[in-house]
Amino acid sequence: MRLAASNQRHRVLVAVVPVAGLALGLAACSSSSSVKPVSAKAKQTIVFAESGLGTEGQQTQTAINGFEKANPNITVKVDVLSPDSTTYLSQLEHSFIAGATTPDVFETDVTYPAKFAQAGWVLKLTQFNPNMSQFFPHEVAAGTYLGAPYAVPWFDNPEGLYYRTDLIKTAPSSPAQVVADAQAALKKDHSLKEGLAFEGMKYEGAITAFLTVDSAFGGKLDPSNVNTSGNKAALAWLHDTIYKYHIAPTAVTGWSEGNVESEFVSGHAAFSINYPFVESLATSPPVKGHVGYIPFPAGPGGTPGSALGGEMLAINSKTAHAAAAWKLIEYLTSPAVETARAEVTGDPPSLPSAYTPALQAKAPYFQNVKTLNNFSAPRPVSPNYLQVSNDLQVMLSEIFANTKSPAAALAAAAPTIKNDASATP
Amino acid sequence: MAAQAADRYVGRPRDGRPAADRAAADRRLGYALVAPVIILLLAVTALPLISNVWNSLHFDDLSLAGLPHKFVGASNYSTMFTSPLWIAALERTLAFTVITVIFDMVVALALALMLNRKFRGRGVLRAAILVPWAVPTVVSATLWKTMFDPRAGFVDYFLGAVHPAWSSLTWLNASVWRSWVVIFTADSWKNIPFVAIILLAGLQVIPNEIYEAARVDGATAWQMFRRLTLPMLKPALMVALIFRTLQALLVFDVIYIMTGGGPGNSTETLSFLNFYTFINNTNFGLGGAISVMLVVLALIVSWGYVRVFRPSST
Amino acid sequence: MTAGNQAIGRASGRRLASQTLFYLGVAVVIVVALFPFYWVLRTSLESNAQVAAGVGGSNGVLPSHLSGSAFVNVFTQQNFLHPLINSVIVALGATLVTIVVATFAGYALARLRLRGAGAILGFILLAGFFPVLAMIGPLFLLFKNLGILDNVYPLIIVYLVYTLPIATWLLRNFFQQVPIELEEAAQVDGATRLTALRRVVVPVAIPAVFTAGILCFILAWNDFAFAVSFLYTFPHFTAPLAIVTFGQSQFQVFYNLIDAAVVIVSIPIAALVLFAQRRIVTGLTAGSFR
Repeated sequence: MRLAASNQRHRVLVAVVPVAGLALGLAACSSSSSVKPVSAKAKQTIVFAESGLGTEGQQTQTAINGFEKANPNITVKVDVLSPDSTTYLSQLEHSFIAGATTPDVFETDVTYPAKFAQAGWVLKLTQFNPNMSQFFPHEVAAGTYLGAPYAVPWFDNPEGLYYRTDLIKTAPSSPAQVVADAQAALKKDHSLKEGLAFEGMKYEGAITAFLTVDSAFGGKLDPSNVNTSGNKAALAWLHDTIYKYHIAPTAVTGWSEGNVESEFVSGHAAFSINYPFVESLATSPPVKGHVGYIPFPAGPGGTPGSALGGEMLAINSKTAHAAAAWKLIEYLTSPAVETARAEVTGDPPSLPSAYTPALQAKAPYFQNVKTLNNFSAPRPVSPNYLQVSNDLQVMLSEIFANTKSPAAALAAAAPTIKNDASATP
Repeated sequence: MAAQAADRYVGRPRDGRPAADRAAADRRLGYALVAPVIILLLAVTALPLISNVWNSLHFDDLSLAGLPHKFVGASNYSTMFTSPLWIAALERTLAFTVITVIFDMVVALALALMLNRKFRGRGVLRAAILVPWAVPTVVSATLWKTMFDPRAGFVDYFLGAVHPAWSSLTWLNASVWRSWVVIFTADSWKNIPFVAIILLAGLQVIPNEIYEAARVDGATAWQMFRRLTLPMLKPALMVALIFRTLQALLVFDVIYIMTGGGPGNSTETLSFLNFYTFINNTNFGLGGAISVMLVVLALIVSWGYVRVFRPSST
Repeated sequence: MTAGNQAIGRASGRRLASQTLFYLGVAVVIVVALFPFYWVLRTSLESNAQVAAGVGGSNGVLPSHLSGSAFVNVFTQQNFLHPLINSVIVALGATLVTIVVATFAGYALARLRLRGAGAILGFILLAGFFPVLAMIGPLFLLFKNLGILDNVYPLIIVYLVYTLPIATWLLRNFFQQVPIELEEAAQVDGATRLTALRRVVVPVAIPAVFTAGILCFILAWNDFAFAVSFLYTFPHFTAPLAIVTFGQSQFQVFYNLIDAAVVIVSIPIAALVLFAQRRIVTGLTAGSFR
């Protein structure tokens, strides 16, 4: 411990020496060393990077203990990285850029595999003949780049519509019904502060809120052309909930999923758009026992809506332990292990077969989640997703703040998004 | 005794070396003592500047790893100069700077005049205005974010007395001008005290006699302020102006924390854009070009002030 | 009552009015400067439920009841102690390096008739105006290549751009005012420049060094731009960066918790201002003006 600390100080001193400035111009070029693959049967240690904290982290460790028991020759060292997804991405990116051979295997958000695959940082999984058809197809699509699989679904978080079953007796069957129900609930129950709460802050979550309603209006988030009548209708509806129907407050422009959760759980909102985790937090009145969770109901010409969130597992392309890493992935994504994880953490499994009757009996919300997973739409699968995401965030922020009309904002953003999505170096 | 000592020092010190040697030794010692400051400051300013110039002439995007760091001439600069984002950020930054500087200087001058009077409670006033200056920008930004929050804040609670309870007003990210109002409030609240303290120091060196003489001549308070205070305050005004202008020109923290550049891009400034290009887009070529322009802009402004103020202040 | 008396009465009435107006102005300034702190303190003492319910009704300028839960949670749930310790380390580190280096340089620039002293002082001043955001890209690359990204110690060096210019100027101006006879007397007794510096000048300079130290600590403690650019895991965050990330967490973090952290970070600064306001004022003006 002490040694490590003094070592750090020593490196700091190096930074002071101005000669080190020469390093400014030099790119890190230490990545070309080729490594000899180690067989799955050999005795070895692999590094697994993940972002789980608390119960999630503990459950991962439990699963890994099980894996090590089944494969005594493989030891798994867990690296816990940042719980913030953007930070997590840059941490991974920095080690990949440096050409590091570890982590051998790692967790990744559904929006990153394409980027990693294009950069050549992750291993193409075709060599292992993975059975991808056992997983929910939308999440498989998120891990597919140029037709080949690069990441395996680990758990699947579909975003959907929450409603208060005590205030709204039957689930709404169209967007118009959501508005009418919300207005009626606001009139009836004065402890409500808003009819609908959703994530409108300028961040990634605003995109998933939009995606959740998008397909209900016949919209589709295709970066090559976002300026479609379906997308326009979906954005207009979200805009109108604030400025025309007055069921959502302007305060949504500052809300992330945490704020939305708190609004719903403390009984301020009749409807909210959010992820499955909210269901387990609704433990006190007036919401306790009155939580409905459905795909966003379809309007004319649309299909029920849900946005795909979730985590996948992938292998570092520089690793020498690909075979052992693949064994770990197979183990962690096996139905029994996923069911066990779901029971403890509430993380929804990525394969339909893991939704056992026992699991659904224990926590009925898994039934809802399974339904939602059939509808969940992935965000654009693109190596340039970060840029596309930024363009979308700007557009949504303009619409929610009413500084541009949905049609104008969409028209203005469409060429930029197309350009950023297709930009190749 | 003292005279003798001084004599000896100037003439021939005890160690017997001539004064010229001693001066040379002093100078060598002096450069050795100054060197660390120069080296450290060069390392954190000049090196990054050189590196930025170099990078700005190259393609350098970390997220497109494996691509060569190839020479691209002025293409990063032409990307920047034709980028609507950069042009809009430049205009915004300049407008913000002009408004902030004028407002802050006027308020700070009033504060300084207040502090320059002898009255009971002056220490309390001075301590009260120093605290906002001394706390981190993160604190001032978070503080005003709380104040303007529609749920947790004071502002809407206070306005609630004027408008009906249901029409709560969202300030940040819900409207461009309201977002700017909040940013502006937090920024001025934190920075006015510093300007006021500098101006106060300027006021304190003005001799009282000249006011008395003017009063005898029947000058009004306004005339004395215009004809005596302002001209004598010129050096202090220049220092305050340079500091405040450069601060405003480089504004970043408060915007990152309060709006993240939103709604849309409408509160993005040059520094914000620079941060975003480097850290989020890992584009060190374009980021380098933006940085170089930022330095050039800062230099132009400082040079301009020095030009304008120099003739009469020396 | 004579006309003269009336005039005096009116004049003193006007004096009273202007006096009242003046104190009213003072009161307004104090309220504007300090009320936001009160509001943050108030919010930090609310429970989660109170924050979720919002301000209004019985829960107004005075909260309906007080709760210390946010202050407990900020340490137990959010591990705020880590960032706090990091901030203390880097701020003190930068302060120590600065005062050692700046004391010598300030002395040399004031006393040792260096050729080009004006240019050197000009450069130091200019460095103080250098756009901070223009430094982060190259420094990011440098730290990446040295493997010291996400490490708080390099910030000690980077923070010198905030602290060195003002400290060097302040101390140089101070040394110019120290009577030269003091040193000469010591040198007459056979001491070299350096020993005279150590034995005579440094003790005299201690108050000025202390002032410079306070200013440096405040400036280093307040950084956000470098921290947000170079640090990315929570255990390595500085306190200001940690406060901002509380607000960006994907799970609900209420304002009471964020504001509790704000209160904690502001306390050392407020204490410094209260104990050393005179020093700070003279330091600011000596370092930047003259």
